[in-house]
Amino acid sequence: MTVLRAEEQRQTHRRPRPSSFVLKLAMAITGVIFVAFVFVHMIGNLKVYQGAEAFNSYAQWLREVGYPLIPHTGVLWTLRVVLVTSLLVHLIAAVMLWLRGRAARGPHRRRRMMTGLTAFGARTMLLGGVIILVFVIIHLLDLTIGAALAPETYRHADADGTMHAYQNLVASFSRVPMAVFYALSMVVLALHVFHGWRTVLQDVGATGRRLRLVWVTIGAVLAIAILIGNALIPVLVLAGML
Amino acid sequence: MRVELEIWRQDGPSEPGRFETHLIDDATPEMSLLELLDRLNDQLAEQGIEPIQFESDCREGICGACGVTVNDRPHGPVPKTPSCRQHLRAFGQVTTLRIEPLRSAGFPVIRDLVVDRSALDRLIQAGGHIDVLTGTAPDADAMLVGHEDAEAALDFAACIGCGACVAACPNGAAHLFAGAKLAHLGLLPHGEQERGRRSKAVVDQLDTEFGPCSSYGECVEVCPAGIPLTAVAAVHKERLRGLFRGRAD
Repeated sequence: MTVLRAEEQRQTHRRPRPSSFVLKLAMAITGVIFVAFVFVHMIGNLKVYQGAEAFNSYAQWLREVGYPLIPHTGVLWTLRVVLVTSLLVHLIAAVMLWLRGRAARGPHRRRRMMTGLTAFGARTMLLGGVIILVFVIIHLLDLTIGAALAPETYRHADADGTMHAYQNLVASFSRVPMAVFYALSMVVLALHVFHGWRTVLQDVGATGRRLRLVWVTIGAVLAIAILIGNALIPVLVLAGML
Repeated sequence: MRVELEIWRQDGPSEPGRFETHLIDDATPEMSLLELLDRLNDQLAEQGIEPIQFESDCREGICGACGVTVNDRPHGPVPKTPSCRQHLRAFGQVTTLRIEPLRSAGFPVIRDLVVDRSALDRLIQAGGHIDVLTGTAPDADAMLVGHEDAEAALDFAACIGCGACVAACPNGAAHLFAGAKLAHLGLLPHGEQERGRRSKAVVDQLDTEFGPCSSYGECVEVCPAGIPLTAVAAVHKERLRGLFRGRAD
């Protein structure tokens, strides 16, 4: 009877494709791309603390980097293509894995999970991801495209390439709800990065004790750096210091 | 001491289950969870009621047969301890216990607190074993195993296969169980010879019947054998190694 049951089980279960192993690896790779991007983006944002000219010329440089070898905005568009592709992969894999996890857990879900920041970070990955997606859309509309949610005084680049990124940023963050939303989004992002970075260890199969410790520490440092470097900007704008 | 039990009753695999409330007036702090259930069943037998079905064997934490969910914690409130080694004295002021089977889609309930954990057996069938013919026993020193490897393999081999990790997992994943097995066998000379083949078989079987791992870490909290989260990483480590080598070993 036991054998029959086992045979039945085998027939009712089909191995899902693509395998969770592939999906997890895809999430790990695209996740690391995102963390690298967010970190570099944060480094660029630091220019804002040097004042309008430094920030605006940095924005302009981003559009000219590599010229004449690379056409104008070439680097920027390459990044955009890579990021959008990564986003799609990351998103689809996340939803597929979430559905599989829900199905495998079954209808009886236990409560009273572990407490603490790490466990909280793990449980809120999907919600955090959604919040970050909303944030990215708002951020693009607000300060890149300059539509819908952009401040009224938003100025596109001049014909000679002069950017007004600093003025746009200050105008946007002078709106209290927007500034608060940006700052809170960075908290969510930091938590997402912290847990995501930690999970990469499991996905790429890092078992060495020292490597794991170093990797988690790097993740924590990255998360805190991203949080402080970025979230301070709206706070300082509201405080009238930028 | 007086203990109130809210306990799961289910007449068969396809029957709907329900909670029943029972009082035990003469419980003692020395009682383990299973002894509490024994006491309850004595009480039920005296009243002519069908006893609660639950699994147990050695009752000293080495066989992996027992396992119930107590107040939403697989095995019970004490971390890293099997149900048979959880004593009422360790529960503090808690005297209301809600006892259910280990919960996961991969573990269908057979009756009351007994679940069918043969999904774990199928994982072992798929790759959690050594296929090579070892012949007669070699001389003691003919095949050397490094001390560190031997210790690590032994630590991963401590898994008793109780399935609490799966029940604890919000994704219904069995990576802690599978990883412990892969790490254990992959470290030893006989098991090493089929690392690639084994990792593929095990990962495929994990995909077929269990959920994906999201590094919640809930499994480690309940594991009576103290298997670390590193075991989970061993799953992908072994699979990636197999992919890159493209060979059976």
